[in-house]
Amino acid sequence: MSVAAVRTVTLTVNGTERTARTEVRTLLSDFLRNALGLTGTHVGCEEGICGSCTVLLEGVPVRACLMLAVQAEGARVETVEGLAQNGELTGLQSAMRDEHGLQCGFCTPGILMSLTAAEREGLSEEETTGQVLAGHRCRCTGYAGIRAAVARRRKESEATP
Amino acid sequence: MTTPHTPDDRPGTPDSDRAPGAGPVSDAAGPRLIGRSMPRIHDDRILRGDGRYTDDIEALDAIDAHGGGSLAHAAVLRSPVPHGRLTRFDADTARADSRALLVIGPDEIERHADPLPTVWRMPGQLQDRIQVADRTVRYVGQPVGLVVASSRAAAEDIAELVEISYEPLPAVVGVDAALAPGAPLLHPATADSTGTPGPTGTPGPTGAPEGTGPAHGNQAGEARFGDPRADVERVIAAAPHVTTRELAVQRVSYTSMEPRAVLAEWIPGTAQLSLWSSTQVPHAFRYGLARALRLRMDQIRVSVPDLGGGFGGKTVLHVDETLVCLAAKLLGRRVRWTEDRNEALTASYQGRGQNVTARLALDTDGRFLALDAHIRGDLGAFATQAGSGPFQIAGQSIEGPYRFDRAGATVTAVYTNAVPTGAYRGYGMQEACYVRERLIEEAARELGLEAHELRLRNLVSAAEMPYTTRAMSTYDTGDYAAALRAARQAVAGLPRERTGRVRRGVAAVPSIEATGYGPTALQETIGIEASGWESGRIRVNEDGTVTVYAGAIAMGQGIETTLAQIVADRLGLPLAHIAVRLGDTETTPHSDYSSQASRSVVVCGGALMRAGEQMRARMHALAASYLETSPEDISLDAEQVFHAGKTSRTMTWRDVAHRGWLGWGRPAHDRIMLEETVDFDPPAITYAYAAHAAAVAVDLDTGKITVEGYWAFPDSGVLVNPAIAEGQTVGAVAQGLGIALTEEAAYDPHTAQPLATSLWDYELPAPATVPTVHVTHTETPSTFIPGGFKGLGEGGIMPPPVVLTNAVADAVPEIAPALHRTPLTPYRVWTLVQEAGLEG
Repeated sequence: MSVAAVRTVTLTVNGTERTARTEVRTLLSDFLRNALGLTGTHVGCEEGICGSCTVLLEGVPVRACLMLAVQAEGARVETVEGLAQNGELTGLQSAMRDEHGLQCGFCTPGILMSLTAAEREGLSEEETTGQVLAGHRCRCTGYAGIRAAVARRRKESEATP
Repeated sequence: MTTPHTPDDRPGTPDSDRAPGAGPVSDAAGPRLIGRSMPRIHDDRILRGDGRYTDDIEALDAIDAHGGGSLAHAAVLRSPVPHGRLTRFDADTARADSRALLVIGPDEIERHADPLPTVWRMPGQLQDRIQVADRTVRYVGQPVGLVVASSRAAAEDIAELVEISYEPLPAVVGVDAALAPGAPLLHPATADSTGTPGPTGTPGPTGAPEGTGPAHGNQAGEARFGDPRADVERVIAAAPHVTTRELAVQRVSYTSMEPRAVLAEWIPGTAQLSLWSSTQVPHAFRYGLARALRLRMDQIRVSVPDLGGGFGGKTVLHVDETLVCLAAKLLGRRVRWTEDRNEALTASYQGRGQNVTARLALDTDGRFLALDAHIRGDLGAFATQAGSGPFQIAGQSIEGPYRFDRAGATVTAVYTNAVPTGAYRGYGMQEACYVRERLIEEAARELGLEAHELRLRNLVSAAEMPYTTRAMSTYDTGDYAAALRAARQAVAGLPRERTGRVRRGVAAVPSIEATGYGPTALQETIGIEASGWESGRIRVNEDGTVTVYAGAIAMGQGIETTLAQIVADRLGLPLAHIAVRLGDTETTPHSDYSSQASRSVVVCGGALMRAGEQMRARMHALAASYLETSPEDISLDAEQVFHAGKTSRTMTWRDVAHRGWLGWGRPAHDRIMLEETVDFDPPAITYAYAAHAAAVAVDLDTGKITVEGYWAFPDSGVLVNPAIAEGQTVGAVAQGLGIALTEEAAYDPHTAQPLATSLWDYELPAPATVPTVHVTHTETPSTFIPGGFKGLGEGGIMPPPVVLTNAVADAVPEIAPALHRTPLTPYRVWTLVQEAGLEG
């Protein structure tokens, strides 16, 4: 079997332009982890079900395991590493901590990206816990703490319009 | 003393509730830390994306389009046939690929590696090792070789170039088919042996099982727990009523979100193997590796970085992991392997897999006269390190929280052509709970009694504690009836609708959980080659910071936070002073079991309770000597300053630590090193308990079950961090709902091929499946564990499958007798509805 073709991929990750060479068959999830060293994006199933690898592509949540790195050429990508600014957690990240919304933490980055997009889109608590969270699988928490974190964020947003 | 304890009401544990051994802390600074819900100390890091799981280490090395970095990548060659003889392994083409670094098959493996040791063999079991290079394959997914290449993709490419031929043999799926006359034999060499019966005779006071005879056919071994069969039969034969059922709990997959992973490095110059592994048991992992790779223990260092869930699936060294380490040794470089989800579902060991014939005998008043179970456990292709353990624990714990005149279980472990089974959260106790509570529910139905009343009539009462079962388990403390009443009360007013196309029903059941496993003497009696003690080590550093070392590992259960709270509480320091170090064979205390069996807080926490008290006494004595007063005159304030009451002199904790390490002016008999290590071997099993209740809706037209409400009333003794305890309980309930409703690692009965090979086929509980779980903890302290702790990691998974099943039986009594196995998928329920003539 011949060695797979290689291309140079350039994309903007968390506001910074990044370039790396990679095989054309490389998944975006593997590219982020292994070519760019952004290991916060986790690979749980490589078949689009668990949602652990979710990143934002042009602001929209996508499964990084269901697309190739070369398909993201020129795109704006956000990963979990880009959420906290100067080490300070976002409101959602703090809510996840305070409501015990994570246990092993493996699925957490993908959930954070989907919920972050939902907040930006102004989705309701019901839409977020009903439809957005439905795209994720967490083996540890039974989703209770995650739902509580979403509810806490809604209360916070009501308190500070 | 039992203290109701709800999530919204989380008081610090008052002194009056402290168990013996907790001891007073006369001058603890600020609020107590044991009993407080606090955020976990490592969550910020995980939330920022700075988790460091095994596959994250050296990640940047992994892909190099120009031939790979220093890191090599492995792909495992696996059998595609369920049973057969490997007749050809031709790797010439594969080895010729320029990206190939190593290709090994059975010959090379056998030359360089020995079998893995087993630690728990059941009576009669002849198989005492695990082959790492077996030319007979017995399940789809069995490792037969390994490819190492410059990248993972290259390794997978090259794996397809290896030509392997098999001579197929007939395969058998499921325990009852495997036990049938004429079934294909998995291990014919030992199938007709006379065997070694193992421990025999009457069960001793610690409940060691009685061997019942040699292995034969596909039976690997057999043991009897509790009363001898003849005694139980005599009572059953004379009983006015006997309820008999054939029940089953399916095979399930652990499905930790992080698959298993190993990164191993062999440095030829120093002859050292260093590895990171997603294991729950670094010391046991190292022991097995040393045996297999013919190394000294001190040539191997196993470190556990962040672990993405375990649930029991990472409690043994697998053969594929061994091969990756062998490859690192043969190549003299770093080799990484991370299983993919397909491997996780088919080649990682699985849990559960029990078929049970169960009988309950009652008198006319509904008193339990006898319980008997014949448990056939599905070992799969071979017995893993602990092999039949879950089946044996199911037998040992079949009585649960009830009184019986006579009770016993015969446990038969059976080889089948499927991936081996092993420890899974709940470890036999979930299966026993399912069997027992299903049987009680059906007996009540047959007798026209209220199941709740039947349970209350037969529960062991608080006044009977300590209570010893027929199988010689001794329950220490608890009020089982109170928990069951609370659970029943939670669903008492909810709708029970037995007409229409959407039915509704409720159920409540009690359960118990053996925790803090376990006393080393008990393991010796049973014949498990493992010890149950833990060592807790507290080091006050030269700058006054405190480092805690324990044998537990962190896998998401928050144990690093919990142990830090215990030590901070004992020393009177804020949590931020404490760092917890876990999971490194070079630096953390020896532990055979590490984190599993609901033991970390009980055994590691118990050790650290005592070590903390010793360290506190030493620091206070040092401060007293520097401040020229007596230790009783010393207090530590909230700013970590020691005060001498009589002289009003002060000295900071930090300065006391610093001077302590200098050792100046100390008597010759006084140690300088500010470390305290305490070994704690629990004197007995401490039993947690719970009752759960559920309300369900059953759609007769679709077979879909909706859980409309779920309530849990657990008691795990003194809680260190109630928020973490609640999270553990809710998460375990969700996992139990998966067993109840969706999850099954099924095998095709004709081809023996695994049917659940992706998360499309293996359905994890989704957010919509898991309702709000209402948890109300009570706290009945253990009387013999320092701190009064009991374990709770597994308790939550035990009742859900049978609570849901009994609630469905309540909603649709027409199908109740046929509810004999999980999962209750829509198809299975719909089929039962059709068979009952309830089609719309």
